[in-house]
Amino acid sequence: MSQSEQRRTKQCVSCGINISGISAATFDCPDCGHEISRCANCRKQSNLYECPDCGFTGP
Amino acid sequence: MTDNDNDAVEVVDDDSDPDATGDDAGTTAEASSDQTEPVADAAEGATEAAEVAEAEEPAEDQGPTFDEDVMPDEEADLLIPVEDYLAAGVHIGTQQKTQDMERFIHRVRDDGLYVLDVSQTDSRIRTAADFLANYDPERILVTSSRQYGRFPATKFADAVGARARTGRFIPGTLTNPDYDGYIEPDVVVVTDPIGDAQAVKEAITVGIPVIAMCDSNNQTGNVDLVVPTNNKGRRALSVVYWLLANETLDRRGSDTVYALDDFEDEI
Repeated sequence: MSQSEQRRTKQCVSCGINISGISAATFDCPDCGHEISRCANCRKQSNLYECPDCGFTGP
Repeated sequence: MTDNDNDAVEVVDDDSDPDATGDDAGTTAEASSDQTEPVADAAEGATEAAEVAEAEEPAEDQGPTFDEDVMPDEEADLLIPVEDYLAAGVHIGTQQKTQDMERFIHRVRDDGLYVLDVSQTDSRIRTAADFLANYDPERILVTSSRQYGRFPATKFADAVGARARTGRFIPGTLTNPDYDGYIEPDVVVVTDPIGDAQAVKEAITVGIPVIAMCDSNNQTGNVDLVVPTNNKGRRALSVVYWLLANETLDRRGSDTVYALDDFEDEI
């Protein structure tokens, strides 16, 4: 996987921003296992996220 | 209860003191005329009183009654009967609510307590179990600074093979490699985001997901998966951790099944 592709996969599912830094989290969707990334800002503000695969809404 | 029923009970109880029923002239006169057979009258009256009491309070023999309106869908398929959730008080929230937790709140009671949606609690326990089953057991950290959560959290950690940090969460546990108790978990489960704020803060610093038991007064900032539940009650926490442990083990294909008693500490 090229660097640009890697960067594209690490986008916040809530706001779409490219993720950088260590305060962001990447985990598998609890329902379907699809990889979900959340940026530090959306985690702090508790912005809702939705799995693009199964539609699970968190947190 | 009707007035006549009241009178019947009062006549029997106060047979020796007719003045006690002086409020009702008819009843007093009847009691005076029957004084020739006081024993037979008392026995008959006692039977009537027992029948009245039985008719009035049929639910007393059937155990305590619970709130019925605790979720929108009455037919929801739950892990345990809804009565067990209610008996443990899993649905009892606080008198405060946050905007974050509004979507997990079903209604507000007359006394001002918010009632959590039990079906969502049940659903989130399953979701959290699915989530935790993806991780290496030794890389799961469970924390509880809250007194009533310490025993269930420790028991949960034992059951699923995770690590537990109960009581004061030593700062640096997740961030200071020089600290003897330094660990590097992949996911953190906290009993209360307020009490376990240090654990949440360090989890954010190192960038690992956080699962939190949240009550109606909790804010869900820095939490990645909310399990809406009463996180202040002893039995509520026992039930939630017990279900979470059994579901996690079930997802892993383990045959081990724990009983609720295993997660309940002696008072």
